[in-house]
Amino acid sequence: MGYSAAAVRGATARRSLQTAGLQRPSAAEQGTAPIRRHRPDYMLMILTVALLAIGITVIYAISPALAVGKHVGQNYFVGRQLMAIALGLVMFVAAAKIPFRVWRQLYPTLLVIAGLATLIALVLPVSANYPAHRWIRLGSLSFQSVELLKLALLIWLADFLARRVRDGTIADTQKTLKPIVFVVLAVGLVVAGVQSDLGSTGVIVTMMGGMAFMAGLPMKRLMLIAGIIVLGTVLAVSAIPYRRERLLTFLHPEANCLTTGWQACQALIAVGSGGPVGLGLGRSVQAYGYLPEAENDAIFAIYAEKFGFVGVTILLALFVAFFARLKRIVDRAPDNFSRLVAAGILVWLATQAFVNIGAMIGLLPLKGITLPLISYGGSSVLLTLAALGLVFQISRYTKYVTGAGNNGGGYADSRNGRR
Amino acid sequence: MQPTVSSDVARKALARSRILFGVLMLVVGIFMTRLFYLQVIRADYYHKVALSDQLTHYQIPAARGLIEAHQGNSIVPIVLNQTLYTVYADPALIKNVDHVADTLASVLGGNSATYAQQLRTPNSRYVVIAHKVSEANKLTLLKPKYPGLGAQAQDYRTYPDGALASQLLGFVDNSSTGRYGIEQALEGTLAGTPGQLKAVTDINGVPLAADTGNTLTPPVNGSNVVLTIDTGIQEQTEEILAAGVQNVKAPSGSAVIIDPNTGAIKAMANYPAYDPSNYGSVTDSNLFKNAAVATPIEVGSIMKTLTVSAGLDQGVIQQNTSYYDPASWTVDGYKITNIEQDGGPGQQNLATILNLSLNTGATWILMQMGGSAAANKIDQKGRDAWYDYMVNHYQLGKKTGIEQGYEASGLIQKPNDNGAGIDLTYANSAFGQAMTATPLQMAGAVASVLNGGTYYQPHLVDQTIAPNGKVAVNAPKAVVKNVVAPKVAPELESLMEYVVKQHALNASNLRFSPDYIVGGKTGTAQIAQPGGGYSKTSFNGTYVGFVGGNNVQYVIVVFVMQPQLPGYQYAGTAAAQPIFAGLAHMLINGGYASPKT
Repeated sequence: MGYSAAAVRGATARRSLQTAGLQRPSAAEQGTAPIRRHRPDYMLMILTVALLAIGITVIYAISPALAVGKHVGQNYFVGRQLMAIALGLVMFVAAAKIPFRVWRQLYPTLLVIAGLATLIALVLPVSANYPAHRWIRLGSLSFQSVELLKLALLIWLADFLARRVRDGTIADTQKTLKPIVFVVLAVGLVVAGVQSDLGSTGVIVTMMGGMAFMAGLPMKRLMLIAGIIVLGTVLAVSAIPYRRERLLTFLHPEANCLTTGWQACQALIAVGSGGPVGLGLGRSVQAYGYLPEAENDAIFAIYAEKFGFVGVTILLALFVAFFARLKRIVDRAPDNFSRLVAAGILVWLATQAFVNIGAMIGLLPLKGITLPLISYGGSSVLLTLAALGLVFQISRYTKYVTGAGNNGGGYADSRNGRR
Repeated sequence: MQPTVSSDVARKALARSRILFGVLMLVVGIFMTRLFYLQVIRADYYHKVALSDQLTHYQIPAARGLIEAHQGNSIVPIVLNQTLYTVYADPALIKNVDHVADTLASVLGGNSATYAQQLRTPNSRYVVIAHKVSEANKLTLLKPKYPGLGAQAQDYRTYPDGALASQLLGFVDNSSTGRYGIEQALEGTLAGTPGQLKAVTDINGVPLAADTGNTLTPPVNGSNVVLTIDTGIQEQTEEILAAGVQNVKAPSGSAVIIDPNTGAIKAMANYPAYDPSNYGSVTDSNLFKNAAVATPIEVGSIMKTLTVSAGLDQGVIQQNTSYYDPASWTVDGYKITNIEQDGGPGQQNLATILNLSLNTGATWILMQMGGSAAANKIDQKGRDAWYDYMVNHYQLGKKTGIEQGYEASGLIQKPNDNGAGIDLTYANSAFGQAMTATPLQMAGAVASVLNGGTYYQPHLVDQTIAPNGKVAVNAPKAVVKNVVAPKVAPELESLMEYVVKQHALNASNLRFSPDYIVGGKTGTAQIAQPGGGYSKTSFNGTYVGFVGGNNVQYVIVVFVMQPQLPGYQYAGTAAAQPIFAGLAHMLINGGYASPKT
């Protein structure tokens, strides 16, 4: 993409002007308000750890059930997930420590790596259990290339939109809309078309739409993009028989319980049989082979079975608090680039959570998407934590208006967690 | 203090992030509503649906009770259980097919390639490799822990005495159900009650250990059953019967030895027999049936013992009664003549009726019970009386209720059946034609006369021993107490003794020590043809007799089907009588019968 080289050049040119990790905001955007560095948002970190803890608890509890018939140890799954989280925390720290300007320079490299990874996944032979070209496998390790693609596209789009905002061309069809539509189509073609990963495509496209929305793209333009996406989705669904089938299954899950609707039915049974207070941590039955992908896509249903309505209320409250924290960081972000990065991550994680949970409670078709921070799966954990590392870095900085009677008090207020 | 909103862009972003978060909260709201519906309102429904998938009922097999029998003064098991294994494979999990196949071939025998083919069965998760594998072989096979290879324990019956009493015992089929004989009749007692395990399982049906919802009813093992038969008597009876049947080239035969004072069966044998441990190789399922209780035939002249007893009981004849026998009657236009040793027209008595086996004599007795010899007629009164004796006194025409599968009731024509020839039918039934009975029915009936007039329930079960060791003794049960008057017993006893003594003149094997009483009666039964009428060439040989000392101790009935004999020989005398003689000698010589004191 032609934008990458230009962005690299721009970044190089600006480097000398930068004092902190952040790019100095343009005068138009910045006004005279200073950027203050303060304590990062530890609340976000606490919520992240809480969600990870819930995920690892559920995986720990169902690990013996998952091990049945797979010739692996009782704690195979929980062990691998702990390793992924440990590696993810390294990614988190790296993402939080590596200055933003570096990230902003790095996205072309990231895009190239993500593109290469996608290509490798396409040419590698598929495994019998998962017949889609989505994974790169090395021995017992596997990596889902689309996860990296999400992050690379996110940083690219944040940079792209931030520069369009700075240049005042955000509403320009040629300069802004066309490239975005082009990228959306490219992602649609590769991820949805070739990799058959409609779920991830949906997440990426929603993420990009959300970022465009946050960047202030005029509503008319957004509607146009949405129209194109809806049209593309309809085409994608109607062109491929198994997707039509999935849609029918979604519309009539009970009628197809024993065939295509098995997972949807079992997910509903898991959620419903959890009842108001759940069966208890060690009491999940559906994990014992009834509900496919119990540790992964269907982990919400297993959680709901174990902890009931009370449990899902707590989990959703945690997610709401988590997203509220992300929104707060978006609102306080010191410049457009970091605001868009944070907003993109917020939309990404929220969409992924909603698509996942929606499928488990019979409101959306099954899409093979993980529940962020909860589901088993290395690629998802690694990239989610890396993204949160970026947000964590952003949460260190706030731009304050210095007005009468205010002597940088915002810093202290922020530290105390008041608004 | 607010973050800056100094620029339009930032202000717009703040507004839009509120919209974004609003949408987000809306979705969460929808989800919470849906979750409330699923988990609170519909919780019971989904709980039921979940249990219908997850809850499995298991049966825990109960150990089947053993079958034991007397052997002199001790009790010995004759049917035992043995645990063998069904080796199976899950082809989806088998890894090194050729290696596993070689191991199977080396332990179980057979062709390695055949096993390999079974292990490669496509689209199957369960292939049975071998049945009835011994414990040792099972351990050898499972020791290397090949994935996908397993064994399932199953109890099989074993028979230390081989084919002994095979039809009487029956067998246990592959679904652990008793078939034929004792095994079928006492299924409830022997099988016990399987335990029930109601458990939440994984998708493969393996119960989840941690689930407290599991309920368990332990199995109650089956009771052991001690039979009345004596293995010594049974074994020798089978040998004597087999030899006797083979000797006259008959296809089959049966023998029953009953204790007339209790109704206990001491031996019940059939020829040919089969090996119950290998019942699967039997091609004709009729071989499974205990013919001594399952195959009624027209019994022939042995019935005359009961006709005479009825007449004596009624008082219409006395032990010393004599009468003129015309050597033929014309009843309903048909001539009744004598088929065995024909005495010709002349003066006859009860002893000669039995000894010479006079059909005309038996018919004459019936005429005394109701009818007219002058008119060659048996009237309603005679028919009613004789029917009452046959069915209500001698218990013919209905099942004895012995502990056997497939018992037959035999056939006795009703006296009020006004069809043509009912007189002829009744005249015939006086000497054992136009009616059918099993060896057991005949043994029970004659025993009831000889013991003084009590019909004891013929039975094979002596004791039932519950799993807790509690013994229930099966006491003799009197079905009818006044079959005939007590005075009839010694009268019939001496008449039958007379028959044996007379026959012993020509048959040395019928001579017994004077310390014992031995009596009998032959029967040469005509065989009804499917198209009507009787066979001119083929007969069944029958015999009823007794052995005792101070009193009658054993009643013996022998049936030999269609022996191949030279034309001048009668089946009763030539085929059945030698077997009876052999059995009587066996009981005396073996010390089973007590001599006079």
